[in-house]
Amino acid sequence: MTNTKTTYQLPPQISFSQRLKNSLFATPFDFVLTLICAALFALLIYWFIDWAFLSSIWRAEDEPLCKEASGACWSVIDARHRIIFFGLFPFEEHWRSTLACAVMIATIVASCVPWFWTAIRLSALWLIGFSIFYILMHGGLFGLSVITPERWGGLALTIFIFAAVSIIGMPLSILLALGRRSKLPVIAKLFGLFIDFFRSLPLLTILFTAAVITPFVLPGWLQGDKLYRVIFGFALFFAAYQAENIRAGLQAIPPGQDEAGLTLGLKYWHRVARIQLPQAFRNSLPAIVNQFVITFKETSIVTIVGFFEILASGSAAFGTGKWTVHYIEVYVFIGAIYFIFVFSLSRYGAYLERKLRVGHG
Amino acid sequence: MVEKFDTENGMASGTPAVTMTAVNKWFDDFHVLKDINLQVDDGEKVVVCGPSGSGKSTLIRCICKLEDHQRGTINVLGTELNDKVANIDEIRREVGMVFQQFNLFPHMTVLENCTLALTLVRKKSRRKAEAIAMQFLEKVRIPEQAVKYPGELSGGQQQRVAIARSLCMNPKILLFDEPTSALDPEMISEVLDVMVALAEEGMTMVCVTHEMGFARRVADRVIFMDEGEIVEQNTPQEFFDNPINERTHLFLSQILQH
Ligand SMILES: Nc1ncnc2c1ncn2[C@@H]1O[C@H](COP(=O)(O)OP(=O)(O)OP(=O)(O)O)[C@@H](O)[C@H]1O
Ligand SMILES: [Mg+2]
Repeated sequence: MTNTKTTYQLPPQISFSQRLKNSLFATPFDFVLTLICAALFALLIYWFIDWAFLSSIWRAEDEPLCKEASGACWSVIDARHRIIFFGLFPFEEHWRSTLACAVMIATIVASCVPWFWTAIRLSALWLIGFSIFYILMHGGLFGLSVITPERWGGLALTIFIFAAVSIIGMPLSILLALGRRSKLPVIAKLFGLFIDFFRSLPLLTILFTAAVITPFVLPGWLQGDKLYRVIFGFALFFAAYQAENIRAGLQAIPPGQDEAGLTLGLKYWHRVARIQLPQAFRNSLPAIVNQFVITFKETSIVTIVGFFEILASGSAAFGTGKWTVHYIEVYVFIGAIYFIFVFSLSRYGAYLERKLRVGHG
Repeated sequence: MVEKFDTENGMASGTPAVTMTAVNKWFDDFHVLKDINLQVDDGEKVVVCGPSGSGKSTLIRCICKLEDHQRGTINVLGTELNDKVANIDEIRREVGMVFQQFNLFPHMTVLENCTLALTLVRKKSRRKAEAIAMQFLEKVRIPEQAVKYPGELSGGQQQRVAIARSLCMNPKILLFDEPTSALDPEMISEVLDVMVALAEEGMTMVCVTHEMGFARRVADRVIFMDEGEIVEQNTPQEFFDNPINERTHLFLSQILQH
């Protein structure tokens, strides 16, 4: 290899402008179509920028000017953002909710870093993250006043529900997926039944049951707070779907992988943790990330059972007096917040896919 | 190196490595193994051949309990294979297996493939495990590939890594299921060379293979299977030059055509 001289030919290069020309301006008809689309697109962008930034009113005191202005009236955000972010949380304690939010986001971000991907590190991270969040939000320790979960709200509540559902749902989904693939037919059937049961119910039904009906069925000491019951029901729903994603990933692994592990003398949990799950996650990563994205967006459903997550808090923000006309600005603002979270999640998913593919050579 | 593969496990020398007595196996109602009687002595090299579907893979998969048999007894290194989990684990640690499709773990580097069981099963420290792994990667002559992923290697290299991975566990018996059948012709010899070297060191080996040159060179005994039965077994010399059974004749004439 080293001393044979070979001249390699580069593949013919097509320049970017050439490719652009081929795909957009190949025929006169294409040319016209491209121009029209580009013009419409530019116009749309211009309208939005003009509405959101150029002709908009920013400060709460300037609200009277909104009637004349053609742009957005961000005064409503300036005046009411605390309700959007914190819901019914007591005003003087908003710093606690802010800090709790930051801690939870930091925990989520940290658990995206591969260094944390061992059972011990992840559990430690989440134990610490949740503890700090809980102490800050709930209080009752270190001289913080007690604030019960009914009064939690806004962004902190949305993030808390998302994180708690994920962290309970993920291990559960792995157990469900493994159970459904059990060699013992009875076990496999039972887990299959459980998964299909929760997948076939609407989330709304599950949350409503958890919030309203379980108190009549469960003994008092098992009930817990309404918020935790709702989170648990949500986590079951999440786990049932995620289990099917993971199972699909497991199914795609050639049986020889497990056999190689067996002949090396590896025990079941070692084979699961070191051979099967890493490959299953790789195989169905897009679907797994997708489930997280859906879950983040579906947190807004908890409004139905009386929780003021960010969307409900938003409605409260424009619900009174002079602000009622400015609901569009509030929804755009909340939409932007959702977008930041969901977009980061899917970008992270894409990054993971690229990173994990390297391992396959 | 040689002493590594001797009977250091305290097993009385003379105890056969594998004894199969009247073994029968069915897949549903398909009779795959019919009354198999086979003994492999310590240090012996046995080559198993036979037409496709004759049950060769099933036979050696029974020895490391990847398949269950329904009747008869299989005794490996003095332990009878039954459903006791402790027994199975113990046997699997002592019996290595090399597959036709290599079955390397694609998400781990070559080195991690080799050290995984050393750390988890043999409880070696990471440093110790890596030293052992490198020693065996050198033995199969690919230490320089240690940090690569299996997908970056050629088939022959992958199979040599698979052999090194098995050797790391210091097995008393190595089973091979057509280790060169998935390889391009030019890579077959690099794998066979490694296997010959192992044989010369005294490893107990059971190989399913159709590499007749290899069989002639290292096998103590060649076994011919057809339709789930052991039809004929003999020294390679006798087996190839004076096959007794009609079916052996037919099979040999078919594979020697090319
Ligand atoms: N898991 C299984 N379930 C049902 N039948 C099986 C199974 N595995 C193998 N068989 C059947 O048992 C027979 C023997 O299979 P085996 O793999 O042992 O043959 P082989 O001699 O190794 O053949 P080859 O040379 O093709 O590898 C074949 O007819 C095969 O179809
Ligand atoms: Mg076979």
